[in-house]
Amino acid sequence: MYTLTGVTKNYRKRRETIEALRGVDLDIADGEWLVVQGRTGGGKSTLLQILGGLDRPTRGTVTFDGRDLTSLPESTVTRVRAASIGFMFQAFNLIPTLTAAENVEAALVPLGVKVEQRRAQVAGALDSVGLGDRARHLPSELSGGQQQRVGIARALVKQPKVLLADEPTGNLDEDTRDEIISLLERLWREQHLTLVLVTHDTAIVERAPRVAEIRNGCLSIRQDTGTQPS
Amino acid sequence: MFLLLYLRRELRRRLRQTVVIALGLAVGIGLVVTITAATAGVRNAQAAVLHALYGIGTDITITMEPPPPPKPGSPQASDFGLTPGAKDQQLDLLGLPPGLGLLDEASVASVARLRGVTAAAGGLSLVDQKLTVPSAASLGPGGKPPASAFPTTSTVDGVDLTHPHLGPFASAQVGSGRSLTATDAGSNVAAVDSSYAATKGLTVGSTIIIGYTKFSVVGIVRQPRGGGSSDIYIPLARAQALAKFKGLANLNDKVDTIYVAAANASTIDAVQKEIATLLPSATVTSSASLANAVTGSLAGAASLANQLGRWLAIVALIAAFAVASLLTVAAVARRVREFGTLKALGWRSSRVVAQVMSESIVTGILGAVAGVAMAFGGVSVINTLAPTLSATVAQNPGSAPPQNVSLNDSGMHRQVAQGATHTVAVHMTAPVTVTAIVLAIILAIAGGLIAGSFGGWRAARLRPVEALGRVE
Ligand SMILES: Nc1ncnc2c1ncn2[C@@H]1O[C@H](COP(=O)(O)OP(=O)(O)OP(=O)(O)O)[C@@H](O)[C@H]1O
Ligand SMILES: [Mg+2]
Repeated sequence: MYTLTGVTKNYRKRRETIEALRGVDLDIADGEWLVVQGRTGGGKSTLLQILGGLDRPTRGTVTFDGRDLTSLPESTVTRVRAASIGFMFQAFNLIPTLTAAENVEAALVPLGVKVEQRRAQVAGALDSVGLGDRARHLPSELSGGQQQRVGIARALVKQPKVLLADEPTGNLDEDTRDEIISLLERLWREQHLTLVLVTHDTAIVERAPRVAEIRNGCLSIRQDTGTQPS
Repeated sequence: MFLLLYLRRELRRRLRQTVVIALGLAVGIGLVVTITAATAGVRNAQAAVLHALYGIGTDITITMEPPPPPKPGSPQASDFGLTPGAKDQQLDLLGLPPGLGLLDEASVASVARLRGVTAAAGGLSLVDQKLTVPSAASLGPGGKPPASAFPTTSTVDGVDLTHPHLGPFASAQVGSGRSLTATDAGSNVAAVDSSYAATKGLTVGSTIIIGYTKFSVVGIVRQPRGGGSSDIYIPLARAQALAKFKGLANLNDKVDTIYVAAANASTIDAVQKEIATLLPSATVTSSASLANAVTGSLAGAASLANQLGRWLAIVALIAAFAVASLLTVAAVARRVREFGTLKALGWRSSRVVAQVMSESIVTGILGAVAGVAMAFGGVSVINTLAPTLSATVAQNPGSAPPQNVSLNDSGMHRQVAQGATHTVAVHMTAPVTVTAIVLAIILAIAGGLIAGSFGGWRAARLRPVEALGRVE
């Protein structure tokens, strides 16, 4: 799915240059579940942004599904993102004025899906995360766990190839966290997703087939059980 | 459409912000429309004054400077050679109004032939003074005349009946009896102004005496707005035949004003120049130049509306647009994460910008509606509170100071008196026109566009990563 070679990302802040990523080489196979961990400031979010085409590396290439994201024009990257890449955020990032269903629908808007089909897909996605009865609720009327489940529905409604999740359980308590991870695991299996998950959570790390660690911008594979989705 | 759904949700759920921005725009627009209406009201009032003076349909008037007035006290000018005699003497003197010279009636035809002129009519205004020169015996010890010796003055207008739509008589409305018609041209008939008729107790069928000649009153007329009317209207030819001037037995073939109608408003300037070439010594006055000669509270209101009003409107608009733009940019800044998320979902920048723009434009339209409502409120306040404006116009703009007649102990003097002027009172009504409303809507949408462009520009520059790094 992904091949990263020599990916380096520098941030320039005034005269200083911060090396957020230093020559990362990484292969992510189709249907893989990869956990990325590491200390704060290590470069985890930076890596995820580059995987999602939200930012471009300073050096190196990122091949996604056979195409080099670093050489595609912005509009094409946007289209790739709309069709094939789902995002989940630590703070859920739901649009506060839209209902749960409308938030999920927002992910289908750039794909030009017809309204009726859109509604059906949204209902299906909300059902699959167990929120079929909360479709008309505003984010402020939902618990943190429910909001993140809407976040999952929004990320997966378009049936992307990969799901990139940046500390999706960081704002949740332990029980809710387990619930979300179980849900993610189920959907990962059902939908043959490629899942890249940034987390500090040791419980998740233990369940993950493959774990990468980033320190000071350098990535190393720490654990690889070779387990593939069944 | 998702854009509309999202738009509706945003405007409704961020109602307070929507209302604040819309009200800001509304105040600016309301002021602009109110001021536009007030300016139009003042302009209408000016037009009403000018019509009262020179009649509806008259675009240009031509008058002549009178010959220089003789110096007061110089022998030939100082008196009429009348000295108090043994008996009271009744005099009925017809004279020209102060400050007007004479034009040849032939000029009327020449002017009518000019390009861009649809019609030209002559007019001759006379002042009829009736007075009693008291007998020497009745003069008091100090030589002061009794009060009854002061002249009574009426103004008489000779009307060109072949052009009933030109000149001051054109705007007169018949109250009772009938108007003067072309067949009256040679008859001793008169139409009398209603307020003059009231003070003199005249009705249709009454007889009046002008310059020792009897006229029968065939109609009582009223000018639509008080002020510039004459007391008596008679056929032009009769007025010419009656009046004596500087040793002339009559003023046949003389007029003192030529009223000109131009083909359309845009040709007035050109016609004015043509006339100036044709009659180099004449004073050519258009409504525009006459408006400049208007003084009084109306002129004050006009310049206030034109200067202060325009500035106020511009400042209000700029302030409204600036506030709307700042609030919109601030709103976008608060929604950085939201827009970043949408970009992460694969929304193009243009779609995000369209969202911001359409929110602003709809807010602008709401502002337009509120602004038009405010404008109607403001205009009705103006219309109920507006004082009656008065305008003062010299009787013959551009002429020498007018003259008057008075009596003193040594007889009658022609004496230069300042200020023979018309004062016309008009009530101002500020009209809200469709144009003003369309202007308001265009302004509001422009305001929304401007505010939206700032907001959209901010949103377009946003990189999705910026949105994601931030955790509140
Ligand atoms: N936009 C930016 N401009 C400048 N420096 C940045 C920017 N984004 C990240 N950095 C820096 O790059 C480094 C890596 O940041 P990154 O957010 O990827 O870390 P992280 O591993 O996700 O940390 P955390 O666990 O706290 O989320 C940090 O030193 C950070 O300060
Ligand atoms: Mg991070």
